[in-house]
Amino acid sequence: MLTDRQPRSFLDPQSLARLAGVPLVARTPMVGGVSGRHASPHRGSSIEFAEYRKYVPGDDLRRLDWRAFGRSDRYYVKEYEADTNLRLCLVVDTSGSMGYGSAGTTKLDVARRIAGSLGYLAAQQGDAVGISCVADGIVQSLPPRRSPAHLRLVFDVLEAARPDGGTRLPEVLHEFAETIRQRALVVIVSDFFMPPPELESAFNHLRFRRHDVATFHLLDPQEVGFQFQRPTRFLDLEGNASIFADPIDIADRYHRAVESYLAELRRIVLASGIDHHRVLTTDDVEQALARFLVGRASGQGARR
Amino acid sequence: MTFLQPWVLVALPLVSLPLIIHLINQRRFQTVHWGAMMFLLSARALSRGYSRLRHWLIMLMRMLAVAAVILAVGRPLSRGWLALAAGGRPDTAIVILDRSPSMQARDRDAADTKLDTGRRQLAEAVATLGAAHTIVVTDPARPPLELDDPRAIADLPSAGPSAAPADIPRLLQAAYEHIRASAAGASEVWICSDQRANDWAVEAGGWSSLREAFAALPQPVRFQLLAFPQPAAGNLAVRVTATRLERRTADRELLLSIVVSRESAEQSAAEPVTVPVTIELGGATSTVELVVTGREAVLANHAISLGAEAEPQGHGRVSIPADTNAADNEFYFVFAEPAPRRTLVVADDEGVAKGLELVAGIPPEKSAVATVDRVPVAAVATAAWEEAALVLWQAPLPEGDDAKVVEAFVNRGGQVVFFPPADPDGHEFAGCRWTEWITHPEPLAPETWRTDEDLLANTRAGAALPVGELVVTRSCGLAGEIVPLASLTGGGPLMGRVPTQQGGIFFCATTPAPRDSSLASEGIVLYSLVQRAIDRGLESLSPARQLDAGAAAVAALGGTGRDAGAGWTRIAGSTAAPVDASGTQPAVYAREGRLVAVNRPAAEDQARSLPADRIDGLFQGLMFSRQDGRAGGADSLVQEIWRAFLIAMVLALIGEGLLCMPGRQRTRAAPDASPFGAAA
Repeated sequence: MLTDRQPRSFLDPQSLARLAGVPLVARTPMVGGVSGRHASPHRGSSIEFAEYRKYVPGDDLRRLDWRAFGRSDRYYVKEYEADTNLRLCLVVDTSGSMGYGSAGTTKLDVARRIAGSLGYLAAQQGDAVGISCVADGIVQSLPPRRSPAHLRLVFDVLEAARPDGGTRLPEVLHEFAETIRQRALVVIVSDFFMPPPELESAFNHLRFRRHDVATFHLLDPQEVGFQFQRPTRFLDLEGNASIFADPIDIADRYHRAVESYLAELRRIVLASGIDHHRVLTTDDVEQALARFLVGRASGQGARR
Repeated sequence: MTFLQPWVLVALPLVSLPLIIHLINQRRFQTVHWGAMMFLLSARALSRGYSRLRHWLIMLMRMLAVAAVILAVGRPLSRGWLALAAGGRPDTAIVILDRSPSMQARDRDAADTKLDTGRRQLAEAVATLGAAHTIVVTDPARPPLELDDPRAIADLPSAGPSAAPADIPRLLQAAYEHIRASAAGASEVWICSDQRANDWAVEAGGWSSLREAFAALPQPVRFQLLAFPQPAAGNLAVRVTATRLERRTADRELLLSIVVSRESAEQSAAEPVTVPVTIELGGATSTVELVVTGREAVLANHAISLGAEAEPQGHGRVSIPADTNAADNEFYFVFAEPAPRRTLVVADDEGVAKGLELVAGIPPEKSAVATVDRVPVAAVATAAWEEAALVLWQAPLPEGDDAKVVEAFVNRGGQVVFFPPADPDGHEFAGCRWTEWITHPEPLAPETWRTDEDLLANTRAGAALPVGELVVTRSCGLAGEIVPLASLTGGGPLMGRVPTQQGGIFFCATTPAPRDSSLASEGIVLYSLVQRAIDRGLESLSPARQLDAGAAAVAALGGTGRDAGAGWTRIAGSTAAPVDASGTQPAVYAREGRLVAVNRPAAEDQARSLPADRIDGLFQGLMFSRQDGRAGGADSLVQEIWRAFLIAMVLALIGEGLLCMPGRQRTRAAPDASPFGAAA
């Protein structure tokens, strides 16, 4: 089905082949335009029985359950679950801080691999894929579409993404919550270097709009461990600010700040019901994606 | 604190090395493009108090470690009482020891006396300092002694206890002479003393010249005083104040006057103490109990029967039980039948001569025999000087051979009272001369006179002589150095004394003649002074003499050195005393039927210590410091304390290491990165 013949640096065919065995499913019912692999809130023509309903004039007589009529002398219509496709909205943070990578691989590189792989897997199972690159605002955006040609455009956007500018992710997420018309799987790939209360508001907004929200929290090991030895001048990747600090002097307080931030973020994602995954730039992306997919597959069938 | 190698202290600026390294390290920073600025900003906003404190503490510990190493290499000395800057090793260390009896005191719970403690501490201190030359000055009459090993101070026989007062000014003078003569380099003078006023002789007047002499020395001289000013607790002293041999019917009887005194005034308010006083006399021992209630207890004229066949002279010893000062627990006494009270009167005025003969010829006691010889001026040289106790001289001052005879008489211990001649001729004797007669239009009365000592002193009962009732119509002027004993209204001298080693020379500015004064008609004053002068003169004639230990006793016994005491045999006293210590140890000496008892001076029994500021004033302008010691104290005055600095360095490094250890927070944030995602 994949029609993109151009090799992409952020896609590993072997890894994708291994991941293709696990379907990408939504944790909540999706409202799609065509039949697909995902649960729908509406009744449909799948083989999975849903419920009996009293016959009303106008119903198709072919769906009348004659056995039930024989037992109860009443007319019942037998209804089945509907399967539909989903709309995968990839939100990739391309702010300046995503350009940091102490081990040679930047957070944006990892974000490309995650977003690209998920986009490919979704397109493989007939879902619509869209992408938005976010920094100070929406840098680049493609709406979700099912066509393979559209996936190529998505890859082009990913390839062209460059880390630059500040971060206004919460505002953009609020905007998405209002503008994505139907239920969608919103996957956010970012380092989330922003105040957690702002994120909490945005996540709740998305959840309120019945979107299935998944987040990949990208961090560099140095950003967590802060293992510097010499006095260092830190230049902000998202602005012109600089801070001079002796790591020996400040490390303990830095660690306290990181720990406090992570604890707060954990509280928020648990409260908001977000599918949250933290990934270090040194981690194996395939394993992180497999963990993501398997975790979702185990919850398949949930309908609301 | 001083240092044996003070030049090492030049390296002290290296203390700032950790600071410099820190500053250099600060300049060697790296630049990193950083995304997680929010955490850095949060970290800076968090409390920096402890972190900053720890930072500075680490720096301080490093600097302390460096400083401790430098100070330890400088070989620091612990000299608690030397609040002076680093002085280094002195070239000459001079030790001056106060060996007076009061330095034999010790604490109740200590075995060492003040002198022993001082000697030991000074020996250790001088040995530690490592001075090139060590000099010990113990006696102004002996040359300073140089020691090869400073530790010998503690065992030096000549630095042992003495019954004589110390005379610190003369000891310092000897030290000064040595420094000047030996052209020594930087010198330290260590004085060990208990600050007794009689030892320091602050009234003597020689201190200012001594200060100036030391200040004028080209080499630096530093003075250190190891003081033991505390009085000996509960110390009692015994003393025989008078002995008199009397014949009662067939027996001879010895009358002893004994005083037991407490050392300090503070003890006077203490509980009464019963003291058994042991009297040893001619091999027999008797004990008398005295109850000391106040400052002192007096046993006056305690009669001891000697028997009919007893010798007309003898010696003995009184003692009290051991207390905190062993040096004042015994007293030697000698006694003999008193010599005849012989007086020579040399007068050119018949009226005056008769009056003087009258007052000299009446003995104060019925049993005594008084004789007066009138000697013409021309026959002075042939008079019986060797038997006379007093000469009353109302004639032109002696000159030529006459002067020599009188001087010899005075040096023997005789007393002379000069009255002005009718016609003063300007001759000088003993540095004094008569000037001219002054007739006072209004008769004058004596305005002031010395009531504490000498011929016009108050009586033993404390009553003053009626000197103020005298009337002086004519007086003769006096020129020369004289110590005034009485002055007339308006400041003119009435009576004075010329300072002498032995004997006494007195000048009275008027005569007993009725035209000159009322000395004869108000005869009490004249009689008292004449009889007192006779008593003084008799002391040199008596075959039994009591002498205060010191220079006078040494001179009376024949000088110092190996031949000291030549002819004199020590018949009682400590056999442990050095051979050449005659006159400085309590003992009884005999020679050709004469007896001499040497004891500590009376001033040693009185704890009159000089206050510290008075001592400081004596060394004003000189480098001086002091420390109070304690008898039996085991502490060293000076010791090397580099080990303490090495320990301080180790402690500083341990402290620095503990402060540099990573805190718990530093190991907490990093590991929980990946498990969280899986859990969520």
